[in-house]
Amino acid sequence: MNRRVFLILVAAGVSLALLAWVLFGPGRQVITHQEVFEVDELPTPTPAPEQRVMLLFAGSDGMLHPELRSVPLPAEVHERVRTVVFEVLAGPTGNLKPVVPWAAELTAVFVDHQGTAFINITAPPEPLTGSHNELILAYGLVDSILLNCPELTSVQILFGGHEIPTLTGHLDFSRPLVLNKRFIGS
Amino acid sequence: MRTNFIFTVWFLLAASLLPAQENMHTVEFQYAGRSLSVPKLGTRVEVVPILALIGAGAEYSLAAGTYVVTYGEQQLQFSPGHKLVLVDGKLLNTKDAPVPSPGGVAASIEFIDRSLLGPLGFRLEPIPQGYRIAIGARFADPVTIRPVAADFAATTTLVLTLDRPTTATAEPAEGGGIVVHFDDASPRLDPSSRLRSRRVRSLTSNGQEILIDTGTDIGLLNWHNLDGPPRVVLEIGKVYPTPTPAPVRAVERSGPPPVVIDPGHGGKDTGAVGANGLTERDLTMAVALRLAAELRARGHAVRLTREDGEGRALTDRTAIANRLEAKIFVSLHANSSTFSSVKGAETYYMSLDDKATDEAAAATAKLENEAGRRGDGRSDLDLILWDLAQTSALNESAKLAVAVQTQLNALLDLRDRGVKQAPFVVLTGATMPAILVEVGFLSNTAEASRLASAEHQQALARAIATGIEAFFREP
Repeated sequence: MNRRVFLILVAAGVSLALLAWVLFGPGRQVITHQEVFEVDELPTPTPAPEQRVMLLFAGSDGMLHPELRSVPLPAEVHERVRTVVFEVLAGPTGNLKPVVPWAAELTAVFVDHQGTAFINITAPPEPLTGSHNELILAYGLVDSILLNCPELTSVQILFGGHEIPTLTGHLDFSRPLVLNKRFIGS
Repeated sequence: MRTNFIFTVWFLLAASLLPAQENMHTVEFQYAGRSLSVPKLGTRVEVVPILALIGAGAEYSLAAGTYVVTYGEQQLQFSPGHKLVLVDGKLLNTKDAPVPSPGGVAASIEFIDRSLLGPLGFRLEPIPQGYRIAIGARFADPVTIRPVAADFAATTTLVLTLDRPTTATAEPAEGGGIVVHFDDASPRLDPSSRLRSRRVRSLTSNGQEILIDTGTDIGLLNWHNLDGPPRVVLEIGKVYPTPTPAPVRAVERSGPPPVVIDPGHGGKDTGAVGANGLTERDLTMAVALRLAAELRARGHAVRLTREDGEGRALTDRTAIANRLEAKIFVSLHANSSTFSSVKGAETYYMSLDDKATDEAAAATAKLENEAGRRGDGRSDLDLILWDLAQTSALNESAKLAVAVQTQLNALLDLRDRGVKQAPFVVLTGATMPAILVEVGFLSNTAEASRLASAEHQQALARAIATGIEAFFREP
């Protein structure tokens, strides 16, 4: 091995050692640009005060019956509608039965200037039958909303984002429904 | 500068030398219970205090030489000495120009009314001491409308976005389509808008209205005025209820006014189905045929709204009764409940307290009148007469419902579920006493078995017929 080859080998060895130190060395420092964005802490919203609401569910006599429940009830009317419908769709806690006989979800609430609330719930997965089921569903929701939101005058129920003429071929769902206490049992 | 100086000196002299006649040099403006005396300069008044009174901000831009007025999301600009106003990016010509004044800028009452307050959604109303600023722009002020349509499976949502707040009302147009009327504006369609829809053919602005041409059988289902941005939202689709003219015309009455019996459901629509396989469609037809025979045997003319196996739209059923000028309308149904224990018969008549439904009923009757008697000179007087008849019919419907339910209660083992009111589609628009009878619950196994028996069907028919006769005998 002549002196030239020896120097090349030494240079290559030193280069490899240097590369290994840079990549895996203990004191490696990676310079990165860092910025810290200060995020203002939002004040914790004051929870709405708990109030008793009257929710209507179906009884074994085929009539609507009230269940009283304490829930945080916001002051804004559309939020109150949302709360009431959410509780009605969650179902009763006692012996009563749900008024909506499928696992429906509330997807939208809108309140217009005339005091009409529009609620949109998921459509039934299969056709319903019977005016009784239709009436219990309609007035279970409508009366629960109107009894807890006295500033409203009527409620229109949309199913799956659509206005429908009727659900089982009896009741007119194409227009807002007003309070109807005739289906509330004594 | 010189003009400003002259105006300032003139104004100060007038204000200091003639204090007793101050009201001659000011004009009072009232808004929301507050009043403000605004300096008057000849035929012009100071602009900035008036804008401040309604809560609008006005700032002079030295660089642009314009006043920038901001009110909510709206912005307009104008320059002293120029007959132009820039409203939300659009130039409007004005009759006169504002001028520099001691308070900044003064303008004529017309300029303030039409070119400043109008685009912001206000108008001036003269009062003895000056002007009242009212909400709502002046008649005939233009409102630019940008239409957007979204087609869904069964409906189309048409959104008319307005460039300023104004009140609109929508209703079906005579001869088809929809008309949107603007109370205080002349609509102008944005020419850059492009509309694509299966159900909307064209939009035409005409005076204070927009006429919407829709496809056949397509009409207005619902509409709303909404804010932020101001817009009119219309739901368009196949019109319910729409009486079909052909079947209605095909129904001709011969002889005395009949009792019209409506066997519920029909065709592919089976309605409720009992555990024993009995369908509401077949049960209602069976009871209807027996009821028809009972009534005929008692000397009454009877017509059914459908034949066995035939389907018919809900609105056609009422239309048939109206066209036949029926004495009464009886719709037969069988019920279903998620509670299998629920049983019994119940009788319904139309809600008296549902204003929306009453209006719909009036509209339906008007359509039926037009469909059946178009061209014979009838007018809105028919609608008024119909309205009176409807009110009377509702009272009579209550009596009929009680008479029938009383007889149903007398049937053994038939639990009284009472007379109730609900806005049922099939009762909407009936101009005679109209009831819907639910003869029992198919979801109750024992009741479904009973309902399947010919004897019980005959007993139901006899009870309903007896109730009808009792109603006819009432004074």
